[in-house]
Amino acid sequence: MSRFFRGGSDSETDDDDEIISSNEEEESEDDHISSSEDEATSKPAAGAGGRSKFLKDAVSDSDESDLDEKREVKSAKDKKLDALESSVKTIENAKKINDWVAIQNEFEKLNKIVSKSFGSIGMPRVYIKTIASLEDFLNEALQKEKEAKKKINATQAKALNSMKNKIKKIVRQFEDEVEKWRQNPVETEEEDNEDGDIEKSSPIEKDDSLQSTDALDDEGFEQVGKGNRPIEYTSDNLFKKLREILEARGKKNTDRLEQIKILQKLLGVAATSYQQVRVLLALIPAQFDYNPSMSNYMNVDMWKSTQKEINQLLTILESTPSFMIHDHVEEEEEDKEPVIEPGQTFGIRGSIVSFIDRLDDEFTKSLQNIDPHTTDYVDRLKDETELYATIVRGQIYFEQNDLNESTSRVVMRRLEHLYYKPDQVIQTVENTVSQSLPSNLKSSITPPAITQDSSDLIHALCVYLYKKGESLLRTRAMLCHIYHHALHNRFYIARDMLLMSHLQDNIQLSDVGTQILHNRTMVQVGLCAFREGMIKESQSCLQEICGTGRVKELLAQGLQLQKYSQLPPEQEKLDRQRQLPFHMHINLELLECAYLTCSMLLEIPAMAAAGSNPEARKKVISKPFRRMLDYNERQVFSGPPENTRDHIMGAAKALAAGEWQKCQELISAIKIWDLMPETQKIKEMLNRKIQEEGLRTYLFTYSSYYTTLGLEQLSTMFSLPINTVTSIVSKMIWNEELAASLDQINNVVVLHRVEHTKVQQLALMFAEKATSFVEANERTLEQKQAVGQNQRDQHRQKGQTSQQQNTEKRTMYQKRDGQQQRGRNNFNNVLGNSVRGRTQQNRYRS
Amino acid sequence: MAATYDLTPKLIPYLDRHLVFPLLEFLSMHKIYPEIDLLKAKYELLAKTNMVDFISMLYKTIHDTEEVPNEFSTKRDEVLQTLENLQSEAQKVLDIIENPEVISALRQDKLQNLNFLKEKYGLTDKMLNTLYQFGQFQYNCGNYGGASDMLYHFRVLSTDHELNVSALWGKLASDILDSNWDGALEEVQKLKETIDQKNFTSPLHQLQQRTWFIHWSIFVFFNHPKGRDNIIDVFFTPSYINTIQTACPWILRYLTTAVVTNKRKKSILKDLVKIIQQESYEYRDPITEFIESLYVKFDFEGAQHKLKECEKVLSNDFFLVATLPEFVENARYLISETYCRIHLKIDIRYDKYYSLIYLLGNRSSPDFLISSGLSQTLNLDQEAGEKWIVNLIRDTRVDAKIDFKENTVIMNQNHTSIYQQVIERTRGLSFRSQILSSTIEKREAHQSASTAEAVE
Repeated sequence: MSRFFRGGSDSETDDDDEIISSNEEEESEDDHISSSEDEATSKPAAGAGGRSKFLKDAVSDSDESDLDEKREVKSAKDKKLDALESSVKTIENAKKINDWVAIQNEFEKLNKIVSKSFGSIGMPRVYIKTIASLEDFLNEALQKEKEAKKKINATQAKALNSMKNKIKKIVRQFEDEVEKWRQNPVETEEEDNEDGDIEKSSPIEKDDSLQSTDALDDEGFEQVGKGNRPIEYTSDNLFKKLREILEARGKKNTDRLEQIKILQKLLGVAATSYQQVRVLLALIPAQFDYNPSMSNYMNVDMWKSTQKEINQLLTILESTPSFMIHDHVEEEEEDKEPVIEPGQTFGIRGSIVSFIDRLDDEFTKSLQNIDPHTTDYVDRLKDETELYATIVRGQIYFEQNDLNESTSRVVMRRLEHLYYKPDQVIQTVENTVSQSLPSNLKSSITPPAITQDSSDLIHALCVYLYKKGESLLRTRAMLCHIYHHALHNRFYIARDMLLMSHLQDNIQLSDVGTQILHNRTMVQVGLCAFREGMIKESQSCLQEICGTGRVKELLAQGLQLQKYSQLPPEQEKLDRQRQLPFHMHINLELLECAYLTCSMLLEIPAMAAAGSNPEARKKVISKPFRRMLDYNERQVFSGPPENTRDHIMGAAKALAAGEWQKCQELISAIKIWDLMPETQKIKEMLNRKIQEEGLRTYLFTYSSYYTTLGLEQLSTMFSLPINTVTSIVSKMIWNEELAASLDQINNVVVLHRVEHTKVQQLALMFAEKATSFVEANERTLEQKQAVGQNQRDQHRQKGQTSQQQNTEKRTMYQKRDGQQQRGRNNFNNVLGNSVRGRTQQNRYRS
Repeated sequence: MAATYDLTPKLIPYLDRHLVFPLLEFLSMHKIYPEIDLLKAKYELLAKTNMVDFISMLYKTIHDTEEVPNEFSTKRDEVLQTLENLQSEAQKVLDIIENPEVISALRQDKLQNLNFLKEKYGLTDKMLNTLYQFGQFQYNCGNYGGASDMLYHFRVLSTDHELNVSALWGKLASDILDSNWDGALEEVQKLKETIDQKNFTSPLHQLQQRTWFIHWSIFVFFNHPKGRDNIIDVFFTPSYINTIQTACPWILRYLTTAVVTNKRKKSILKDLVKIIQQESYEYRDPITEFIESLYVKFDFEGAQHKLKECEKVLSNDFFLVATLPEFVENARYLISETYCRIHLKIDIRYDKYYSLIYLLGNRSSPDFLISSGLSQTLNLDQEAGEKWIVNLIRDTRVDAKIDFKENTVIMNQNHTSIYQQVIERTRGLSFRSQILSSTIEKREAHQSASTAEAVE
């Protein structure tokens, strides 16, 4: 320690020097060999030299030999330093005779040496000094030249001019150093000298030489010394280093890890909050950039440290409100501590919201890549609370500083962390977060009173976004809000919001992520309707997603295997990036189960009603259900049901046969219902529905075999109260589904189904065929006319549209056939002019 | 109960002060709320109008004193002052307008008229606006007839669109308060056109205008003899039904009543049922519930109960009180019609559960007895019930017969016979084929003509 210390200190003050050198002397007495080298280097210092004279004599032999050795081991660096010095000297000489050509040549040489040997490490003081003096000299010369122009010849003038430019450039590059040198030329000069000395003596000591006199620097110096690093970090040269790093960023050979380490060190030495902010603003992106590839996720440890740093940054900003970080600051990278007048704010260029965004994205990425069935995943998931805290903190910061755009973005992030979670989770997280936050931080969007209730919280966040956010954020907020309502079984509210916002009109125009969110919302609304016992609504909500057979893909919960076509790799990569982390998934099996059950409850009575009528049979409510049922019926043997589908298919068959009890059993046996809240209630609801639909199916199927049916009997058969039976039968009669009427006296249903005679049947069929024949004729004529008129145009158009359709189908995540007719109801924005919405709504409900 | 189904608090935000006043009067007549509260409400309501005398009277009643604060008298003077000023100014304009020469010179084109008046009689925009202000002032003073006149004149002349719309609203209110229902109905039509045509800056604004319009128009629709046809026509247009669903579901009560009491518009019932079902989670009252239990649940007994509740609600509703007997009558009719359509045989004996009489009549309701002519005694009950059913059969042309021996009504099922079906299906075929062949002929003729041209 003392070795370096002495080297550093002797140039500073004589007092210090004396003490240390005398120490040195004592030491050297003990250990001549080790100290002799030092001795030699310290000799130039005058005071020390005098005092150690007698000692020197004593060890003079060894000293001399050491010096010899020294010359031999002169490093490449030293050589360069020598070269540097010599060219500096030449310049000095040339200056004296005003020889600009020589100066220019020599200066170029100097620059070459400097840039080659010192590069990014730091400029030797000599160089800086030269630059500074050259600049002064140049200015002087220019002044003189102006006064007497003719004195200088052409070549000289040319050299002078080029020097002027060069110096200007260089000076700008080393502005700070030059400035520093100018302020205190003596000190730096001494430093320079000693710099040179130490450079010669040993590479280790060099570190020390730059160390400032502060006693505190002991530690800093020690750290650096151990690392054996050629550079030194202090709060003084911090900006310079920072700039170097920023310049090196993104370059080919930059070692990113190295940079991060350097930045972390810089952060350690940063003295003022401004410096800290600046270093953090460089460090955080550097860490994000560490991983160059898109597909890999950030190292968890690094993520954590980054998260801490963002927190630190926020803390600094919270405590010093005079700093503002935003995007709109002009690029004025001043490497000086800004002078801030009280009450004023100082803008720093940067974007915290992008850090938070990135942090969140990296978190999601890591979850996407970690196997969800391992404990790693769970561990990782635990970090979400911290992340959430950071987000909340960011939100408060942006809020307080009126950074509206950032606030919206961060509020959206927050919302996206909340909307799919059950109440308890939200509450726990909120509580932890509110405890972890400093008590003086209060959000106006989400006051603590609101955070107690998850629905209030989400409402507050969404309302903020509706008011302030841009249209995409509004859409997403709306979807999250609907999702949340649906999750809490508020079907009507969710439905009305969905319809009134007219989201479905143009959701296909939005980005894929939003479409996925939309699909998730639709599915959740469907499940909500299912839980509430609204079978028809549920089916129509789920139809679009579940009917496609690409559920996984539409919900971004896994990649669908492509049967016939191979996806281009980029596409696949993109798909992979879109996947939702496992904990956000909607259970697909449960989804399918709900969808199929709904389909069963609707389809089986409809099939029974259609009977043998081929026209009516063509009306299919749920294609996948029909397909599965057909497949199931084709099988020669059907074993006992194993999976959910088997159960539902079995139940469907039982329902069709009027065995509602068996149907109930099979449906209740499905295990996945347990995943729904209040399983028992849902099962009861299903049982009830099965009874009712069983009755309807029975009436449809067997009405032709009876003239009267006792209401009592029906009531016992389906164990429904007689009132309900009457009501169901009445409804069927009223809607003209069933040709029957009630006989009030005998309490029976009288069926009026008239069996047609053969001739009558044939007559009907004939009439029907005649109708279709005429229709076909008309259609043909229409087509011919159309084709005759603008055959070519039509063809061209057709070609285009089909091409478009193809591309759309390929690129679009959302399949939208059918939904236009099916009334995926459109809604206008929140209020007003909901003309179309409501009419479509009717269709949706019908 | 009367208070729970009272819609006045919901209606008030969408009505003008002056329009609210009759509602409050009605409430105080029916004693649904404490008298003093209503008085206070009236006072609050009118405090900002210019009906100073009336306000001071209210003040006296509320505070039970004979003394009136000074502000009233000063306000009174002010009001009279302004009134005079405005009147004298407006008189100038009126003098011009009422000049027979002018009247004969006026044409259809507003702009031209205005220019003509400006040139010849020195009419200025400011003068015209005085008319508007004077109208407004008169309205505020409670002189609705005068206000209506002023606003009429103003609208004839002015070209300022915004003010014109305001004048339209003002005239509607004046006409309503003046009980000039013909005029009001006309204004309603005009206002509806304006609202539908006008391009509003925001849909929200339009929605608001429509909501106001709906509330104001109820006054007209339930007072004008033709109103109940109109209310159905207007409110069932998509934009208005949407407005009702979005902003004011309680209007469904009025719409339902209008539909039920309207014999001609039965076809609309299905739509109504759908809407009621849709909105049932947001708004329900006995009237909508009546429809729901009749057409959704087919619970005739429930419908009967609801009908009883409806009577109470209707008798306490400012707009619907007049329709009560009609409503009850028609509601019964609906019940029996539906019941007959579903049933084959119906017992008309009084004592039997679920019989039609049981459903239709409730013994204690004098209303029913009057309308159906049933007397209190059991024996006559049956007879009168028969009479009622005979009337029903005659009126509705339900194909039914009374079996006196069995004491039942037997409905004849009139399902279309198979031959009828065949005829129905093939009816249009020959006509369509003719058209088809004629078009083909035409086309051929055209083609041959064009080829002939080409040859030439």
